Amino acid sequence: MRLRSAIAGVLLCLSIAGPAQAEPAAVDAAALARIAQPPLGLPPVPLPADNPPSAAKIALGRKLFFDRRLSHNGTMSCAMCHVPEQGFTNNELATPIGVEGRGLRRNAPTILNVAYQKRLFHDGRETALETQVISPLLAPDEMANPSIGYVIDKIAGLPDYAGLFERAFGAGPAIGRLGQAIASWERSLLAADASFDRWYYGGEAAALGERQRQGYDLFIGKAGCAQCHPVGEDAALFTDGAFHNTGLGYHADEVAARTTAPVPVEIAPGRTVMVDRKAVESVGLPRLTDLGRHEVTLDPADLWRFKTPSLRNVALTAPYMHDGSLRSLEAVVRFYDRGAVPHEALDPMIRPLGLGEDEIAALVAFLESLTSVDVGALIADARSAPVGN
Amino acid sequence: MTRTLLALCGLTLVLALGGSPALADETCQSPYMAKITGQEEYVYVWTLGVQGLGDGSDKLVTVDVRPGSSSYGKVVASTSVGGRHEAHHGGLTDDRRQLWVSGLDTSKIFIFDVAADPGKPKLVKTIDDFEKASGGVVGPHGAYALPGRMLISGLSNNKDHGGRTALVEYSNEGKHIATHWMPTAEDSNGAKIESVADGYGYDARVLPRKNVMLSTSFTGWSNYMMDFGKMLQDADAMKRFGQTAVLWDFHARTPKKVFHVPGAPLEVRWAWGPRNNYAFTTTALTSQLWLIYEDEAGEWQAKAVADIGDPSKIPLPVDISLSADDSLLWIDSFMDGTVRAFDVSDPHQPKQVYEKVIGKQLNMVSQSWDGERLYFTTSLLANWDKKGADNEQFVKAYDWDGTELKHRFSIDFNEAGLGRPHIMRFGAKSLYSN
Ligand code: HEC
Ligand code: HEC
Repeated sequence: MRLRSAIAGVLLCLSIAGPAQAEPAAVDAAALARIAQPPLGLPPVPLPADNPPSAAKIALGRKLFFDRRLSHNGTMSCAMCHVPEQGFTNNELATPIGVEGRGLRRNAPTILNVAYQKRLFHDGRETALETQVISPLLAPDEMANPSIGYVIDKIAGLPDYAGLFERAFGAGPAIGRLGQAIASWERSLLAADASFDRWYYGGEAAALGERQRQGYDLFIGKAGCAQCHPVGEDAALFTDGAFHNTGLGYHADEVAARTTAPVPVEIAPGRTVMVDRKAVESVGLPRLTDLGRHEVTLDPADLWRFKTPSLRNVALTAPYMHDGSLRSLEAVVRFYDRGAVPHEALDPMIRPLGLGEDEIAALVAFLESLTSVDVGALIADARSAPVGN
Repeated sequence: MTRTLLALCGLTLVLALGGSPALADETCQSPYMAKITGQEEYVYVWTLGVQGLGDGSDKLVTVDVRPGSSSYGKVVASTSVGGRHEAHHGGLTDDRRQLWVSGLDTSKIFIFDVAADPGKPKLVKTIDDFEKASGGVVGPHGAYALPGRMLISGLSNNKDHGGRTALVEYSNEGKHIATHWMPTAEDSNGAKIESVADGYGYDARVLPRKNVMLSTSFTGWSNYMMDFGKMLQDADAMKRFGQTAVLWDFHARTPKKVFHVPGAPLEVRWAWGPRNNYAFTTTALTSQLWLIYEDEAGEWQAKAVADIGDPSKIPLPVDISLSADDSLLWIDSFMDGTVRAFDVSDPHQPKQVYEKVIGKQLNMVSQSWDGERLYFTTSLLANWDKKGADNEQFVKAYDWDGTELKHRFSIDFNEAGLGRPHIMRFGAKSLYSN
């Protein structure tokens, strides 16, 4: 019922504002303002010369992002895997599910602050938000469209899109413009001004508690996290944008995948049974390996290397790592503390850390201080677009 | 207004049939539905298309079960709806002229006319704006006859493909009437919550005599569409299963009580007897039989009354079928391909009295009103069914003589290039010939 009234409210707003009005809606104006002046702790937003943001592009991009008709059978929108209320990723699944239930190998990254990512996807195979959209539209396990032409024809035929591309670009639907519109909206999803930012960049000494400050010291010191998740002088993305082998993917493919041990299955909250692995395998497709960056470059040195993710808003984006195999921040910190199974390709920075229990808790507390105060506003921005059915 | 009218209609129907729920030929059907007076003549099987098999599309398959017919035990008609929609459940309208079957994936509802030629159902209407009309419900599941309308329980929603969902009512003409969201902790809609209110849905069935409806809870689109083996190993996904059954004030359509029934309670079966104020449900993951009953004080309660197989092996009980005299409950479990019969004449102390392996996997069971014939199908969900050689897909018919199930016929749906058979509904010419 709340859903219905929310949708009705949105429809009301749209009919009052009217898509043809010259005055941008408040939500689009706010998005533009965020791009022009990102919140505390973020650097200026890099903008492609051929796609300056505009209110009309942002509004169109948002609408497209929430439109399930963009998939072949009308079930998947981009937002089904990048759910606003779930940190713009999916908290309910290790790896998401696409058209007809086809399973993906990889965890959906958040699209918060994606504007700063120089290489997209866990393996960095894409280089611009404008072109990134093509992958999910065509991937058989995501939106499964038969072709780009099919998608564009479909949009061109939908009455609720009449005039929207023209207003944003002065020309009708085309894949380049579709990518530009979605990218423009994604660029506006800037979420910083966290407790950490107020403490570190805002000079608010009380913004971080003692435990969080202890965690920060470990992060840049003993635990060595900032080597790959760096903190800059004026801004921080908490990623070096590079690819590393943390040992997690190697372990999953080369060690865990060979086990014959029973599978723990939680059949009800707090009730776990150990199920014969053969029984589980009888109802499952074979597991696929994930060689990370190597799948793009084919360079043996890139085996199991994955892109360092930003740690901003990380408390909202569980489960973690490229395969969603770690379910809590504590599990991630314990993973680093253990230091991975030794093997040749392992990043030398990954080694046992010898952290105490209080240090683990402090690191987790620090990671939790990276949650932006603006996320609620971004969810509201996102949900100002009705779900397209 | 409409609600009062509806209440009156329900009452009239019940009165017209002599104060007890209307008899139905197939047990476990809506008491508001017309009945076949003789034996079932056709079994309609809503079948999932399989990529690369035949036309790959979901289809309604008609099996001839007329005794003595030259095509007895054979497929006599098959109508594809085009594309795969995760064919699952469906039901007949109160007048039994239409069979509504739906797709859990695309949320389309296909309406077949089964009256004009019961041996060859015809697709007459497709509802393709269910999500929009319902205000965001995904995965129309059952289609349960109410007077002049259909009650459709959803499984998911279009915001996140999670388990929060609603009950949706349509007129028999295919028009959306109302959407009732499941109660949640934040929006309980006045319901008393025993432990949690997850807002999930699965089945919904009515006991008109007591003005109550019972709904159960499964899981959202992401889980029911996912590879089963993958899901069992995804600890986050496993957290997203229903743990509730909701008792509703049927006429007001408001939830009264949210029972705590962990492990995904699925099918609901109200007892038929005029004084039997109880229903059964089974939990898929925890493999238990639950009783939801009105106690001496007039309060509704829920309790587990039996284990089904060895719960630690997750036999996964799925469909259940209660005999017309409320004495025997058939329970299919998917993983071990087994049907078990429980003596439930004392509903508080069910006892297993029989079991038989029907195949490598097993899902639905439908029994005739006289309890003498049982029909089985194999498919649970496209991506949950077993893989490779274990992926048997069949319709099998058996006779029950009170002690033994005797095989009558099998149809191999893989070999026939049809797909994965799921729900079955009965049809007969006699219904429409005066
Ligand atoms: C079926 C789920 C699914 C759908 C639908 C989906 N995504 Fe994603 N998205 C993912 C996954 C999984 C990844 C990571 C894939 C990889 O690394 O190979 C990803 C990655 C991304 C990234 C890169 C983020 C980064 O930090 O590298 C962006 C941007 C993105 N998606 C935007 C979109 C847009 C825009 C759409 C709609 C056109 C969309 N996604 C549809 C699951 C999905
Ligand atoms: C050698 C470089 C490196 C070091 C050192 C490092 N990380 Fe990472 N971190 C990564 C990479 C690469 C990933 C992504 C791994 C994957 O996807 O499998 C990652 C992922 C994470 C994630 C999961 C984020 C998400 O969205 O899934 C968290 C949290 C994290 N690191 C925290 C830390 C902490 C805390 C430390 C210090 C104890 C640390 N990292 C040290 C490179 C590093």
